[in-house]
Amino acid sequence: MKKLITLFLIVSLAGCASTTKTNVSMSFPSATQDLLTSCPDLAVLDPNTQKLSQVLEVVSSNYSQYYDCKVKVDSWIEWYNTQKSISESVK
Amino acid sequence: MSSWMMNLILGQIPVWIWPALSGGGVAVYLLSGILSHLPQFTPWHYVLRPLSIVAVLFGVFMYGGAGVTEILQAQIKEQEARIAVAEQKSNDANVQIQTKIVTQTKVIHDTKVVVQKELVADASKIDAECKVDPAAIKDLNDAAKNPLGASK
Repeated sequence: MKKLITLFLIVSLAGCASTTKTNVSMSFPSATQDLLTSCPDLAVLDPNTQKLSQVLEVVSSNYSQYYDCKVKVDSWIEWYNTQKSISESVK
Repeated sequence: MSSWMMNLILGQIPVWIWPALSGGGVAVYLLSGILSHLPQFTPWHYVLRPLSIVAVLFGVFMYGGAGVTEILQAQIKEQEARIAVAEQKSNDANVQIQTKIVTQTKVIHDTKVVVQKELVADASKIDAECKVDPAAIKDLNDAAKNPLGASK
């Protein structure tokens, strides 16, 4: 009878025991398309350029390009921090 | 191994079956006890008793498993709901970032256009007394070139 009770308890508890974890996770978020294009190289001058105004034109264009890339990098940082915070909220 | 068995079986069969099976097993066990006192039914006693024990054990086991599965299903639904909210937040954040990029890029480009116009307007003044030495162009180009090679 004792063996029967022991068997009964073991089988009953085995039914309740579970190591299964709920494996439902958030998919990796996608970034906006603008962030997925790399920054272009800086523009260079025509070696025969003699006018300072043409030099300034290329230099100012490169400055603009820097700020374009700065926007991208700053946006990536913001994207990462935001998505990390959202992802951690569902763990 | 018991996990997939639980999912497969418990998904198809209503939960009340398991306590009913155990209860039936107990009833049969008691009945087999009574039959053991009746000589003409004694062979049935030897068949019914182990079967009833198995039925009770299996019923209790499966009822326990059904309870666990129910809890897990509830957790999964809760997690799925939280993920749906998080994915919506993630998409909203992307839209917000995209809008910000477009706005900031527009400001940068507008400023670039204004500066380029100023340069065109001031070109004659700038170039009047200054001729750029080729060495300056070379140095500037060297500075502008990507030291890691062309970007992809």
